[in-house]
Amino acid sequence: MRILHTITFKPTTQPYPVFLRYIGCVAFVLFLYSCSTVPQTQLKTQQDDDPIDYSLVFLIHGDGDYLYHDTGGFANKADEKALQRAQRVAEQNPQAEVFIFHQKPRKHTLFFFPRRDGKLYYYRNGRLLAEEKYRRNQGDSRFDPEVQLYHRFRAKEHPRPVTMFLYFGHDIPEFDGRGYDASYRNEIFTVDDLAGGLRRFTGESGAFDLVVLSTCFNGTPHSIGTLSPYAQTIIASPDDLHLSYLDLKPFERLETGLRDGDTEAFAKNFAQHAFNRLTEYIHTSVAITVYNVDRVQEYVHAVDSAYNKTLTLLEELNPGFPDYIDCGDDSAYTFDGMSDGVKVFYRPPRFGRLQNKQSHSGWGCPVRPE
Amino acid sequence: MSTRTVFGVIIMLLVFAQAGYAGAKNEIQKYFNDTALKVETTDDPTEKREILNESLQNMTSALEKVRSMPFISKEDQNGIDYLNELLQEKHNELTGSNGFTRVPDAQLNAFSVYVVQSMEQASRTVTLSLTTLLLIIIIVILLA
Repeated sequence: MRILHTITFKPTTQPYPVFLRYIGCVAFVLFLYSCSTVPQTQLKTQQDDDPIDYSLVFLIHGDGDYLYHDTGGFANKADEKALQRAQRVAEQNPQAEVFIFHQKPRKHTLFFFPRRDGKLYYYRNGRLLAEEKYRRNQGDSRFDPEVQLYHRFRAKEHPRPVTMFLYFGHDIPEFDGRGYDASYRNEIFTVDDLAGGLRRFTGESGAFDLVVLSTCFNGTPHSIGTLSPYAQTIIASPDDLHLSYLDLKPFERLETGLRDGDTEAFAKNFAQHAFNRLTEYIHTSVAITVYNVDRVQEYVHAVDSAYNKTLTLLEELNPGFPDYIDCGDDSAYTFDGMSDGVKVFYRPPRFGRLQNKQSHSGWGCPVRPE
Repeated sequence: MSTRTVFGVIIMLLVFAQAGYAGAKNEIQKYFNDTALKVETTDDPTEKREILNESLQNMTSALEKVRSMPFISKEDQNGIDYLNELLQEKHNELTGSNGFTRVPDAQLNAFSVYVVQSMEQASRTVTLSLTTLLLIIIIVILLA
């Protein structure tokens, strides 16, 4: 009986620690994988002889609430739609290099092992040359991983191309900045961080020829002033901007749209096109402004004191998200020459209190606390 | 309230808990989108107006009920007040009260889409806790 017990007991107990060992090994491998550095992707082909006349950087934020419904009632994810459109732009421009950074929500394997939450698509001469996943929260400042990848891949041998930076996401905060990323609630992201990122993208080459902010409420004196050193022309909305974003059609075939090399004229054509497209199906307000960075400096400096006073008060009161108005509707923000260097495309909401507002200064300002 | 409804609510709660905060917020947006779809597929303007009216009132009631619960934080109460204010404006415009011009019959489809787009924009600026969002969704379902 005792012998029998030994014989029958062994087979039922031995697999258990073996199984645990397997689990342990799998967990250890996943742990190593989650801690590993990203292997460097090699470009699929070298095409350094092909001309690079345009260099575009798309930064698409998708780590948050980006769902919207189109007029057919279908739910869309704004970041994924923006990614598709950016890829189309990349494929349609044989004389461009295009970086598309997609910042995604952080996910875990087996609940514990964080997966890579950023992805770069690198196109050159209309072809996808590299795809690389990366971790977003690495480095001292917000755009460290993106800046490193940009400098690793960019075509260095070519004379300075026309450079453009396009950001897609929710409005970039002007103060506080916590909670922008759903996966990193305590991380701070403000317009100053974006300016820091732009500075490191451009390096010694100076400013981007065009910066497009496909966000709500960044067409403000503070945001434009903060980004001014790193852009010659900026497109932004001083009001709400629908999550279907600015339509990128004019960016397809840049050699046609930018034939004469006039970036500001191209920016105005693009803004007009995006405005026409949005007003076809958006019933809330639509406001897009093109800022000639040099020419708007006078107003930006004039309004600086009043604007900063409001920001300081808002920081103290911590109201969450501030309400914005047309700067032209508050005398504290109104100065002579505020329309210099701005081209405004505006249509009021089709319903609501502001449906009869006929014009917009092109500048958004936070409502001053009482 | 039928057993089936209670069971349905429990299942939905489990689903939302899995989907998390974004899932719960999306559910509120879906509520207004469903209303717009119903309005669009209805021919009679009176009926369209009733659908919109009921939808806005149900959401307002749900927000008020949740706001009055003792454990709702001050921050959530502020968020609910903000949403309620927006809904009240939409309701006033629909009915032509408090200084608003009544939305013409021919524009009710467009108005229902305006409500969807407007509430999508508002949901981005309002921060409510997951518990509060779930409570709002449950009460809206029960009121429907």
